[in-house]
Amino acid sequence: MNFLAIFKLTIPVMMGYIPLGMAFGLLLSKLLIPWYYAFFMSAFIFAGSGQFLVLTLFASQATILEIGIATFLLNLRHTFYGLSMISTFKNFSWKKHYLIFGLTDETFALLKTTEVPEANREKVYLLITFLNQCYWIVGSVVGAMLGNILPFNYEGIEFSLTALFVVLSIELYKKNRLHKPFFVALIIGLFGMVLFPPQKMLILSLCAAAFVLIVFKRSMENGK
Amino acid sequence: MESSYIIGSIAVAAVLTYVTRIIPFLLFRTREPSPLIKYIELNMPLMIMVILVFYALKDVKWESYPYGLAEIIGVGVAIALHVKFKNALLSIFVATLTYMILIQKVL
Repeated sequence: MNFLAIFKLTIPVMMGYIPLGMAFGLLLSKLLIPWYYAFFMSAFIFAGSGQFLVLTLFASQATILEIGIATFLLNLRHTFYGLSMISTFKNFSWKKHYLIFGLTDETFALLKTTEVPEANREKVYLLITFLNQCYWIVGSVVGAMLGNILPFNYEGIEFSLTALFVVLSIELYKKNRLHKPFFVALIIGLFGMVLFPPQKMLILSLCAAAFVLIVFKRSMENGK
Repeated sequence: MESSYIIGSIAVAAVLTYVTRIIPFLLFRTREPSPLIKYIELNMPLMIMVILVFYALKDVKWESYPYGLAEIIGVGVAIALHVKFKNALLSIFVATLTYMILIQKVL
């Protein structure tokens, strides 16, 4: 895979990360926090909703301990992503720590659906992760510096991330040997969206999905 | 806001975010993955992806105008284009554009 092909894969993430990053940067500047903290947060935390959460907690003067606990709980869903990456990353060099660090919702989605020959898998994965983080950093820094003066009405462009998830769901559905998990997830997602509190929706739905997947392993594997 | 407070918070949030991502790699480092772990690895991504779709739609206000119509149409366009043309970029671009036009100009 050459650079151009990899770049093309990350374009939907770029379309989502730059405006979302800008929204983050804008919010940060509204709290009168200097712009370079947007860079540090996107470089060292690199978690979309996690960073928004930290800003919200800044605004309400939360303690560092509270910020830590809330961040940990919010990002706990990433543990599930790692669980699906263990054997993929297993033989990678120390550089895999950057891959683990950079395992956001969107990066996970791309890594899991990109077919790469084993020989250059590590390099391709690193580049995908790095490009995604660059978009996020650029978006947040630009947002923090000049978020107010937008030349174009970007409203709604973050829908590209929704569309990305839709497309990748279809791809994974076609690739997956078992189809029952798809329908179970559809039901859990729908119920989760309606019934669970928005902030806990993702982690609760993922726990429910993992629970059903493990407890009903036998019936999942029956008759495809 | 004190800069030590900001820097301390960023450091704590950074470390704990990384911890959530590395937990499974630490837990299953030594052993060969069990059949159960392999089964989870194979099937969990599909479930995660489907749930992420609903997660992305969690803030839609279904009970008041326009009743999530832009989101439903946007998702519908993405599904239809992707099933028909199997071109991820095309599906995502057109669906996003449709959605932007709907919320900015139509609804």
